[in-house]
Amino acid sequence: MKKTIRVLIAKPGLDGHDRGALVISQALRDYGMEVIYTGLRQTPEQIAAAAVQEDVDAIGLSCLSGAHNELFPEVMRLLLERGAEDIIVVGGGVIPWEDIPFLESKGIKKVFTPGTPTIETAKFIEKAVYERDGISSATSKATPPERIDHIGIAVSSLDESLPFYVNQLGLTLEAIEEVPSQKVKVAFLKIGDTRLELLEAMSVDSPIAQFIEKRGHGVHHVALGVTNIQERINELKAGGIKMIQETPVIGAGGAQVAFMHPSSTHKVLFELCEKSKKEEA
Amino acid sequence: MDKQQRLKNWEEKTEQSMNRFPERKERFHTSSDIEIQRLYGAEQENYPFESLGLPGEYPYTRGSQPTMYRARFWTMRQYAGFGSAEETNKRFRYLLEQGQTGLSVAFDLPTQIGYDSDHPMARGEVGKVGVAIDSLEDMEALLKDIPLDKVSTSMTINAPASVLLAMYIAVAEKQGIGAEKLSGTIQNDILKEYIARGTYIFPPKPSMRLITDIFAYCQSHVPKWNTISISGYHIREAGANAAQELAFTIANGLAYVDAAIEAGLNIDDFAPRLAFFFNAHNQFFEEVAKFRAARRMWAKLMKEHYGAVNPKSWQLRFHTQTGGSTLTAQQPDNNIVRVTTQALSAVLGGTQSLHTNSRDEALALPTEDSARIALRTQQILAHETGVADTVDPLAGSYYVENLTDELERKANEYIEKIKQMGGAVSAVEQGYMQREIHHTSYETQKRIESGQEIIVGMNKFTMDNEPQPELLRVDPELGEKQKEKLKLLKSDRDQNRVSAQLEMLRSAAKGPGNLMPVILECVKSYCTVGEICGVLREEFGEYTGV
Repeated sequence: MKKTIRVLIAKPGLDGHDRGALVISQALRDYGMEVIYTGLRQTPEQIAAAAVQEDVDAIGLSCLSGAHNELFPEVMRLLLERGAEDIIVVGGGVIPWEDIPFLESKGIKKVFTPGTPTIETAKFIEKAVYERDGISSATSKATPPERIDHIGIAVSSLDESLPFYVNQLGLTLEAIEEVPSQKVKVAFLKIGDTRLELLEAMSVDSPIAQFIEKRGHGVHHVALGVTNIQERINELKAGGIKMIQETPVIGAGGAQVAFMHPSSTHKVLFELCEKSKKEEA
Repeated sequence: MDKQQRLKNWEEKTEQSMNRFPERKERFHTSSDIEIQRLYGAEQENYPFESLGLPGEYPYTRGSQPTMYRARFWTMRQYAGFGSAEETNKRFRYLLEQGQTGLSVAFDLPTQIGYDSDHPMARGEVGKVGVAIDSLEDMEALLKDIPLDKVSTSMTINAPASVLLAMYIAVAEKQGIGAEKLSGTIQNDILKEYIARGTYIFPPKPSMRLITDIFAYCQSHVPKWNTISISGYHIREAGANAAQELAFTIANGLAYVDAAIEAGLNIDDFAPRLAFFFNAHNQFFEEVAKFRAARRMWAKLMKEHYGAVNPKSWQLRFHTQTGGSTLTAQQPDNNIVRVTTQALSAVLGGTQSLHTNSRDEALALPTEDSARIALRTQQILAHETGVADTVDPLAGSYYVENLTDELERKANEYIEKIKQMGGAVSAVEQGYMQREIHHTSYETQKRIESGQEIIVGMNKFTMDNEPQPELLRVDPELGEKQKEKLKLLKSDRDQNRVSAQLEMLRSAAKGPGNLMPVILECVKSYCTVGEICGVLREEFGEYTGV
């Protein structure tokens, strides 16, 4: 059973800009949380008291007046004083980037800067609360991959294989590049929204050379397009999947990639692949 | 009157006004040496005199003056203020040296909400979003060596507007300048504070009294002062669309007019000093149309509904600021481009003065570099583009005229609805405008998050690893320094005089008389903003939101 998360959205200090506070309140409600909004001009004391009285899981502090460095830590101090330091506190507003490490050092879990999609804030709060309560992330929704990014095919020579794909199948050759992290040279052939990736080993200790030696040429891996790759890796690890890379490495086209170990995936080699936003735009 | 005759009268009148306010050049021309006329379209057979009028004539759709920027550019007025009075004074003098033509004072939140820097509610806020002013002493430092008879000063102050205006008058007096020579504006628009901006103190009824007291006082003592700046700016920033901004601003304006008439003032005595303040957002043509519609709507209301006879009562004059909420924290240099097109819409809409935002305002207060680029943006529009060389150049565009009509129609629907609710004060008390604005703002947010609305650099065309710009920092010790200064002041001043003045204020607040003269005496005795507002808080009570 999923628990309903209770959040207090608060405006500390004298700042009257509450557009953001009102929008985030409604967005969190639409996400399924219970939200209490304090209204304007709350002292840190009032905020800490309301949070304890309302028994909230999380507090969102909004400040656009520049008073955050004094008011946010004061809220944290008062929560501690009331034995309510387990409440997840996040912040937002006009907060200069250079103030964020200081606020985090005072216990603010995350500062959301202007332009952050509300869904990101909602998911962050949900995850932090679940983690705090020891609700395994497996019961929270794992985010499924969004598409097949490409299918990798091991070849002994790009020069020998390419004419078949280009001349016989009529596919468009997009790019040939070297990927030092995998010691391979790859060719991308576009097919609809996805691609075929031909891989040629650049040295004998390349994973592709080892693959060909063991299993011969042919289909090598399937790459799944994801966003927030590190989070996906963490989710999979939490679900018992063994990863070959636990943090992403740079793959072809500058994408962030990580492979799952075939022993965890019924012998299929899967790659997680996150393209940079720039490329997609 | 026949159309030819009307045009001829206008030309004669314009010639006369040019004797007093000559145009910037003998002859205006394009790069190809095409001569630029002052006015286009009015000679046409089917020119819509009724809906457009001629520039400087009812209903002022085409502008509030006959020659507009051919005579004088708009006033370039950058809102500034942070930290101490001394620091802000330096920034003001820098801006004046850079060619800025008017001052605009930003006060910190404790000042705007009537708390001294040592009040517990002021913690963390002193000097942050504007300059901290506790007493006349700070105001003297703020305006040091600025000739108050030569600059016009706009002060963004609302609930305690009487107090800050009184301080301005008192500083001028010390400079040997009479109040009748002062020109400037106080924002003094409490209704939009309840709706959108949040720096209210007192409940609506005594707040409206403070406002009409200012109207009456300035009429006889500070005749060149704009007694209110009825503001759509913050309504728009809070999430309203253009039609809502227009409608709620004008509805608030009507509430002030009604209150002043109820207080016994004559419409033609106070209406010429009412000023407006609008936002310039991204939808270029709609913004131009909004400014044109605002002028026409106000003129009609003043003339037809209230029966004002002085043409100055019909004219809506306005300040514009580019839209702060349109700026992105991502790729902040892109904001320069946004500000440019927004500023252009304000100029083509005929603004009287303009503030252009700095590129880094989604991140912090602007640095000096950013503030300079913002001012240069206006100077480039004025001096290099030629957009100021003819009056109302977009008139007659099928699209712009249609948008102007449509915005007027939509805004009138809202105004009618607000009227049925008992006017703007009552609509505010019922939270009507607040709800409408929130609804629009949430819909906008959803469109942005779903990618239906594209914000360049934020939800499309994004960059990884953006470099972090240099930001301005306000001295974190300022709060303490300001407290020390206040302590010193309190030990130096004539405490008996202070107490006596505050008691006089208290009894005046209980009675029906005009509060401005007694507030002026209070500030001259170095009573603080917090002390004066404190007495009024005790007498009037506090507004706590809906």
